Amino acid sequence: MHALKIQNVEKTYGKVNVLKGIDIEIEPGQFLILVGPSGCGKSTLLNMIAGLEEVTNGNIFIGDRDVTHLDPKDRDIAMVFQSYALYPNMTVRQNISFGLEIRKTEKSEQQVIVDKVSKLLQIEPLLDRKPKQLSGGQRQRVAMGRALARDPSIFLFDEPLSNLDAKLRVEMRSEIKELHQRVGTTIVYVTHDQIEAMTLGDVIAVMKDGEIQQMGSPQEIYDNPRNQFVAGFMGSPSMNFIPCQIEKVNGVMQIELESAGASHKMLIKQTIQGLESYAGKKVILGIRPEQITQQGEDKVDSAMLDCAVEIIEPTGPDTQITARINGVRTICRIHPTAECQLDKLMPLMLDMSKVVFFDPETQMRIY
Amino acid sequence: MKKKSSAPRQSLGNLLPKLVVAPTFVIAIIFIYGFMLLNAWLSFSSSRLLPTYDWAGTIQYEKLFANDRWWVAAENLLLFGGLFIVICLLLGLFLAIFLDQKIRAEGAIRTIYLYPMALSFIVTGTAWKWILNPELGVQRLVREMGFESFTFDWLVNTEMAIYTVVIAGVWQSSGFVMALCLAGLRGIDDNIIKAAKVDGASMPLIYRKIIIPGLRPVFFSALIVLTHIAIKSFDLIVALTGGGPGFATDVPATFMYTYSFTRGQIGLGSAASMMMLMAVAAIIVPYLYSELRKKKDEH
Amino acid sequence: MSINRVLIYSLLGFVALIYLLPLVVMLITSLKDLDEIRTGTLLSLPQSLNFDAWGKAWGTACTGVSCEGLKGYFWNSVLIVVPAVVISTILGALNGYVLTKWKFKGSDLFFGMLLIGTMIPFQVILLPMARTLGFLGLSGTTSGLIMVHVIYGLAFTTLFFRNYYISIPNELVNAARIDGAGFWLIFWRIIIPVSIPIIVVSVIWQFTQIWNDFLFGVVYSSGDSQPITVALNNLVNTSTGIKEYNVDMAAAIIAALPTLLVYVVAGKYFVKGLTAGAVKG
Repeated sequence: MHALKIQNVEKTYGKVNVLKGIDIEIEPGQFLILVGPSGCGKSTLLNMIAGLEEVTNGNIFIGDRDVTHLDPKDRDIAMVFQSYALYPNMTVRQNISFGLEIRKTEKSEQQVIVDKVSKLLQIEPLLDRKPKQLSGGQRQRVAMGRALARDPSIFLFDEPLSNLDAKLRVEMRSEIKELHQRVGTTIVYVTHDQIEAMTLGDVIAVMKDGEIQQMGSPQEIYDNPRNQFVAGFMGSPSMNFIPCQIEKVNGVMQIELESAGASHKMLIKQTIQGLESYAGKKVILGIRPEQITQQGEDKVDSAMLDCAVEIIEPTGPDTQITARINGVRTICRIHPTAECQLDKLMPLMLDMSKVVFFDPETQMRIY
Repeated sequence: MKKKSSAPRQSLGNLLPKLVVAPTFVIAIIFIYGFMLLNAWLSFSSSRLLPTYDWAGTIQYEKLFANDRWWVAAENLLLFGGLFIVICLLLGLFLAIFLDQKIRAEGAIRTIYLYPMALSFIVTGTAWKWILNPELGVQRLVREMGFESFTFDWLVNTEMAIYTVVIAGVWQSSGFVMALCLAGLRGIDDNIIKAAKVDGASMPLIYRKIIIPGLRPVFFSALIVLTHIAIKSFDLIVALTGGGPGFATDVPATFMYTYSFTRGQIGLGSAASMMMLMAVAAIIVPYLYSELRKKKDEH
Repeated sequence: MSINRVLIYSLLGFVALIYLLPLVVMLITSLKDLDEIRTGTLLSLPQSLNFDAWGKAWGTACTGVSCEGLKGYFWNSVLIVVPAVVISTILGALNGYVLTKWKFKGSDLFFGMLLIGTMIPFQVILLPMARTLGFLGLSGTTSGLIMVHVIYGLAFTTLFFRNYYISIPNELVNAARIDGAGFWLIFWRIIIPVSIPIIVVSVIWQFTQIWNDFLFGVVYSSGDSQPITVALNNLVNTSTGIKEYNVDMAAAIIAALPTLLVYVVAGKYFVKGLTAGAVKG
């Protein structure tokens, strides 16, 4: 049984195709993240699930009901907005019970629900305040309370944390995760922040230009990106993309990397069938910063490269250095105690067992 | 949960907002655009005492352009409008700049500058008619103060009467420009001024090079509104000079009224009003065009 | 205080004095009798407070043929202003609500069309409207004037509400829709409670505009249905023997009093209305 099924959904504004055939299916209780850069259509998709925007083509099912043309109020959903959208003229209590009141829930039952929800979110002392008397984090909680009170079959979150400052954002992130674990309701959550996507989601759908680029678990998307866009979008700092030449020498595939004036041949220690046909051609090597690090003891699969250090950026738990490989600025993540100096050569290890390759034309992953 | 809504209810939901604005839509179509067209038609008809919807070609316009009184009215409008606008803008700007110097009684002073705007032009006209009348008004006041030969008879002087309209008009409307400019001044980013100070610019220079140019949009909208007031001005002239002496202070608005409603020359009156519409359009259309283009550029 | 500050203060004070002077002169004159006016100057103070001119302006002064003062016309204006303000504000609020929160294809175009209505010189609709009022049997009635003021005030009130509602986040409406509220419920429960400031602006603007109107009043009313501005003009121009400046001034102040009062009480909103009307779009 699916909790939400989106079937070949399209959206056009005039001649502009905002969503081009979206298919998504999630199980009850799953936490789905829609992530992508601004303008990728993720918010439009969420609004269409909510019923706030018309669907041009295709169908949306919540449970086994076709809700494609239903009003928002008939879809059994609740939504948390980016600006929280608390009703400014109502107290917190009235905000939470407004939806219940409209649905003609008994007054006594409203009371019970408001009490339960406010306890869950620890907003009991705020119940008689107006929204403008609340801090950002408190507003966020009330907005979630309003959604929770309705006990819908799906929660929709539209970038709910982007108006909070950095510290609060991290706090609320774990609160949302905890809430989900406790309540267990299906959630669809839109964000442009890939860290939020990684930490919160059971399933991530990475979107770009109105299309889903890849859908899968956070780890799957991180480790096995389908194309260069997904690889670059997920992860911070981004994956390094280094153009290089593939060669086949004695039946073994290898690439050539130039660094600090010297050329190095690197063996590809994976079997990638697709690479065979690229022998003698250019490909894009994708390697994450943590896969280039200082010389360790037992890195069997690694290859060593002397690099000239151009920038050093300590972040605390580790240090990022920027070096130039094949003429491309490459970010490497090294241990904070590792010795490195500006403009000096530093030996770095490339973890060749985890690197990925992309076709320079199509930008698709080479498997 | 309530029962599911069916398709027809949905379409009613979509229709409701349109139904709500429909009366206004119909009103706009009939009473603004329909009437404008009807009025245009009248101006090409032979209407006199009663409107007749026939086709008389451009005869009314020919009559209008051959009418000396019309040209006096048009000239008066240019003279009055030009002076009124320029003085209001300058006065408003300077008052706003002075008021923006962290003045202690700012609220009270602002209230005083702006209160004439709350008055009817009829009241303003009545008041200034009394103040400017040569026998008992300002002239008498100054003579009593010892300047025996002082004369100030603009109100009854054919050559000068139009300037009394300027005085009363400026008194009534300059506070409005002041309010607009003050709001504009308050809207200018403090950091820009700080940056200029750090760069070593003096306050007068900052005003000349940064702040006043920054008020351009405010000036522009003030200009539009003042032009609008000037072209429409009717009540002030009726109350202050009645268009006189003779028809020395006639403007298109009083001309149109006189010919349409007291002289039974409806065709001529509507032709005059069309000319007023053209004048407003000549100001508004380029303004709207530039505004729209600005908006498009922002996207 | 530096010499500059002194200069600025005295300049501002001087200009304020000049702006106040006409009102002061009106007041002084209205309290004098005719002899004092003839022998004194504009600024000479009345010897005693004499409200005769006020009484006459209100109750017995001649406005054309009838000599019953301004009082009847004052109430005419009230009767015109109140319904016209209420109706145009309500319609403006609804229009603004639809044009921002329930946009449809062509709604922007419609708004643009309406905006033109704030800019046309009313002379251009004067003649067809006179004909229409006659056709509807509303010539020379207060109902006719109410209708005219509602129609040509709509563009302004719609503009006010539209520009105000555009700053209310759409998410608020969406949240209410998801909570199950419909068009009217959202309007009453969510939009109206946050609209008080703009309602005040719209009411004050419409009130001053309609109260101060002369053009529509003089063209579309006659005799008993005239608004106060028309009556005031008639009063001033009715020549029965000697010119009674004190009565003229008392009458002018009476005609100005309601709008002045509104301005003093709610000046902040008045200025907002002016600037909102000026910065169109």
